[in-house]
Amino acid sequence: MKALQATDAPAAVDTVTAFFQRGVDALGEGTRELAADVASARAEGPLTRAKLDAIVLPYAQALFDRAGVTVYGAGFIAAIGLLNDASGHLSWWQGPRHSKLELAAQNIGKEHIDYSELEWYRVPVSTGKPHIAGPHVDYLCSDEYTITVAYPVFVGGEFIGVHGMDVLLDAVEGELLPLLSGETEEITVINAVGRVLVSTNPHRATGDPVRDAGDTLTRYECEGLPLAVLVS
Amino acid sequence: MRDNGAMQHSARRDDTAAQPSRMQSAVFLPIGDEGRAELVERRIAEAITGGLIPAGERLPSESALARSLRVAPVTVREALVALRDRGLIVTRRGRNGGSFVADSADPAQFTAKRLGAMSRVALRDLGAHYSAITRACVGLAAARADASEVARIRQRLANADAADEKAWRRAADEAQTEIAALSQSARLTREQMRLQAEFSPFLGLIGQDASAREQQRRAVLAVLDALERGDADAAASAVDAFVRDSVALLIDHQMRLHRA
Repeated sequence: MKALQATDAPAAVDTVTAFFQRGVDALGEGTRELAADVASARAEGPLTRAKLDAIVLPYAQALFDRAGVTVYGAGFIAAIGLLNDASGHLSWWQGPRHSKLELAAQNIGKEHIDYSELEWYRVPVSTGKPHIAGPHVDYLCSDEYTITVAYPVFVGGEFIGVHGMDVLLDAVEGELLPLLSGETEEITVINAVGRVLVSTNPHRATGDPVRDAGDTLTRYECEGLPLAVLVS
Repeated sequence: MRDNGAMQHSARRDDTAAQPSRMQSAVFLPIGDEGRAELVERRIAEAITGGLIPAGERLPSESALARSLRVAPVTVREALVALRDRGLIVTRRGRNGGSFVADSADPAQFTAKRLGAMSRVALRDLGAHYSAITRACVGLAAARADASEVARIRQRLANADAADEKAWRRAADEAQTEIAALSQSARLTREQMRLQAEFSPFLGLIGQDASAREQQRRAVLAVLDALERGDADAAASAVDAFVRDSVALLIDHQMRLHRA
């Protein structure tokens, strides 16, 4: 695969980058305010799961309403050790009815899964930057095939958690492909490990790695995102 | 109700049709009249007897259970009363009160009892179903997983203490879920997780023996090795061999139970 400068990139690369950047920006918009709200709640007294849920809910609601893409799940995942009444916690709402995620009740055993190792938590913590994790089967929250946009949240340099939202690959396909329908070349969006998110080539399956690209596809990085676009 | 209307309509049309297909007749099979409280009771009872919620653990509050199970709080309350009557949970009042799994709830005993009552046909069928779904998962995972993803599962498994029965069981279940998710198939992963929850207590029962746990560890590692090489056939054979060995051990265990 040839690697070219972004200035040579066809318009479709900008379309793809803008599509995902819009989601990242929508999430980032609320992140600073959310951090301030959590910080002031902590200053007032012990921070509990219930208090955190009350703080996060309006931010999740705002993402469902205004992210510019169909959001399946949204919320805040507390850093391990942040809360006074639990080691970890997901203040998370998801599904068509934006139901509150109740891990223990939803699937007993899941609450033991250590999320600090999962990509949407691990990567933003270590880089300090927003990340798009997946595509992955999100077996912790939704059991759906999603990407997770994850924004690390810091208060005065201290990491306090991840502000995140899930977008179904169904929605990525349904909302991004129409924007690429005028393209005559094959446009394939892949993540950092080369896994297909979506492709205008109907024979290239979401989830498959691109291993046969060879010289037939040119790779363009999506600036500032852990994604790339392959163009025929 | 709209749904009922649609069903009546289809049924009427079927009167004039020659023969409904088998799939079509399945739609109209009785769904049973088991109440919602009984369903909730069974779900939680299975989790307790299967060891998914260990002795002493606090259940979510009535209202949290009602929200996540999407049933009325009164339905949850009814189910909790039944679980209390069966001795599976205890309820404590006061500030740190709530419903807790009874200290006497020993999943190994429940599982042994279930195994003792199960036919070999049913046991082998569970193994066949578990194996089929898990093989489908690893087949896709072999084509789709990135080496770094496999390496992380291997690392977490290496960190698990195989000397601690419960910690090992949990780590093995998690590894299996993560492997299934590498298939990138939400349907297969969901199905595998459901079967894992059903099969895991039995694996825990034979895993009381340290050498059986070591065998289980080697089996997962064999799958991971195959995934790393992108070898779908080897991954599927490793799953198949593991399930066959496990079912054989369970049948031995069952015979010892019957003799005792």
